[in-house]
Order: sequence, then C-alpha cells, then structure tokens
Amino acid sequence: MRQAGAYSGLLCGGVSGRTGPHSLPLARIKKIMKNSGEDVKMISGEAPIIFSKACELFIEELTRRSWIMAIQGKRRTLHKEDLASAVIATDIFDFLITLVSSSESHAVGGATNVMEVETIDCS
Amino acid sequence: MEDESHNNILPNGFNTGSTESPCLKTSTMTTQHNNNNNHQNHSNKEQDRFLPIANVGRIMKKVIPPNGKISKDAKETVQECVSEFISFVTGEASDKCQREKRKTINGDDVIWAITTLGFEDYVEPLKTYLQKYKEIEGEKLNIPKQLRSEQRLHQHQQNHNNNHDENNNQPFNGAYASSNLISQPPYVPTDQKFSLPFSPNSIQNQLRQQEQIDSVGHWYE
Repeated sequence: MRQAGAYSGLLCGGVSGRTGPHSLPLARIKKIMKNSGEDVKMISGEAPIIFSKACELFIEELTRRSWIMAIQGKRRTLHKEDLASAVIATDIFDFLITLVSSSESHAVGGATNVMEVETIDCS
Repeated sequence: MEDESHNNILPNGFNTGSTESPCLKTSTMTTQHNNNNNHQNHSNKEQDRFLPIANVGRIMKKVIPPNGKISKDAKETVQECVSEFISFVTGEASDKCQREKRKTINGDDVIWAITTLGFEDYVEPLKTYLQKYKEIEGEKLNIPKQLRSEQRLHQHQQNHNNNHDENNNQPFNGAYASSNLISQPPYVPTDQKFSLPFSPNSIQNQLRQQEQIDSVGHWYE
C-alpha cells in the first residue's frame, strides 16, 4: 500500500508526510484489526483506509460529547471522567462502558470507578 | 429536534442491547489478549495496541474551542476507546465474512459493520473519503507518464542545440541529422586543407611565386 504523501494537503491539511493523506497510520490500524481476533485472516487494502476516516469521526464524536460533559461541570479541561460520562450517556458507545469503567485504565480512580459501576447497576 | 434524535437513537439502542453479549465477549477477548501482550515485550506491544497519542490528540483538539484543554488521561482513554472501536467493528465484519465463506475483509464489510453497530452517520463521509482517495491514487499513477514526456522535451532541446537550426518538424530534424552524418566525414579533410594556406610559410611562398610571374611577364614584353 503506497501512501500519496505528495497530496496530503488535498485531504487533510497539515498532516505530516508520515501518514500521507490519512490522519492515522494505516499499518497500525491493520495491526489492531489483526489482533482483534484469530478469525481475522486477510484484510484488503481498502479496509484500513476506511478505518482511518471512521476512527477520526469516532474520535471527533466522542470528544465533542465529552466536552459537553466538561462544560456542564463548568470546567475547560477535558478529563477521563468526562469521557466516561459521555460513554454512559450515548447508546452507540455501550461497547465502551466496560473499558472506561475498568480498573485497568492508566489513571487510578477507585472511587470514580466504583461510582460508575454503581450507576451501571442502577440502569 | 431532541425528540426526533431520541426516536432515532432508540432503534440503535435496541440493536446495541441485543449485541451486548458479543460486545462483552469481544471486550473479554481483548482484555485477555492485552494481558498476554503485557506479559511479553511491553514497550513494543504497548505501542502496537493503540494509535499514536499525537494523532489522537490532534483530532481531539479540532472539535473543542481554542481555549479548551485536554488532559493526558483523556487522550489515553480515547486511545483505548479507538482500539476497542476498531476491534468491535472488525469482529462484526469478520463474522459476516465467515457467514458468507469469504476470507478477506474488504471495505464494504467494514462499512456494513459500522452501519450495523449504529454508526450510520459515518457512512456518507466514509464513501466520499474513499472516492477522493481513489481519484488521487489514479492521478499518482499518471505521474511517471508526465515525467517521460518531460524527458522527451529535454532530448528535443538537446537536438536543437546540436543542430544550430530552428527545429519545426521531426522528419526535417531526422533528415538533417542524416545529412549531417553524411557530410561529417568529408568536412574534416576540408578543414585540414583550408588551414594550410593560412600558415606563414605558405603565404611567403605564394608571394615569391607572384614576383616570379611578374618578372617573366616583363621579360616577355
């Protein structure tokens, strides 16, 4: 898969030549796809390209909804708790509830995690 | 507006609920896989599990106000969420391929899975993006041809310089080149002959001969 670095400005302005016109590295996306399950055998060249845009849209939506949570808390810095709130409040993000509530996350927040778990149990 | 949005979300929520178990399974598998990776080489595997945090941070900044800030733990959480999103969608696409007895996950499978999992809003931007990408790839393949044309133009200019003439038609250039080749062999000897009279010795000899002729003419008279 060759990346058209010369045309990076046409699709995504300001993106470094390293990822060409895409804002995310295709090789890394392909590796994550392969690691998603042993039944994933072969991946066409188009799939990582589509994912690079899909992940961008996903990040934008998740960040936008999280920012709303931060604003409601009268803060101007986005924190992990805002992401957890956005995930809980959005149906299509249900598959992330376990992830944002997991104690394995980088940040240590026992109390917050417990509260989140309780919230999940209530709903 | 909000009511309509809520109504739209309900079916998605229902679908998402019905797929909750597979989602949990996927999450569990991912967790186990991550544990295995952590047990192995940590630094490399850690990098391979997530997309680069710089790219993720850059995309996040696009959708918040300029005076907003993003903590590092928020970026790291989004990194994890994106990897989970990729695994979630890939798992759904892979299941579809297995049902249809195909081995390769292609772009349409990914778009189908994204639609099935409730991200219909992404489909139109994705198709537009893919179309633009194909157009650019097509243009990229044409570059070598343009380079070849430029090389031909360069050669043409070289021929012009060599011939010292205005080149209008290629056949004419060809003919001239041919005649040039023919005329080259005799031209060199001509140069040699032509240079002889200009040597000092030759000039003096000619002058002496003229004097002798004058003497002979005078004697004859």
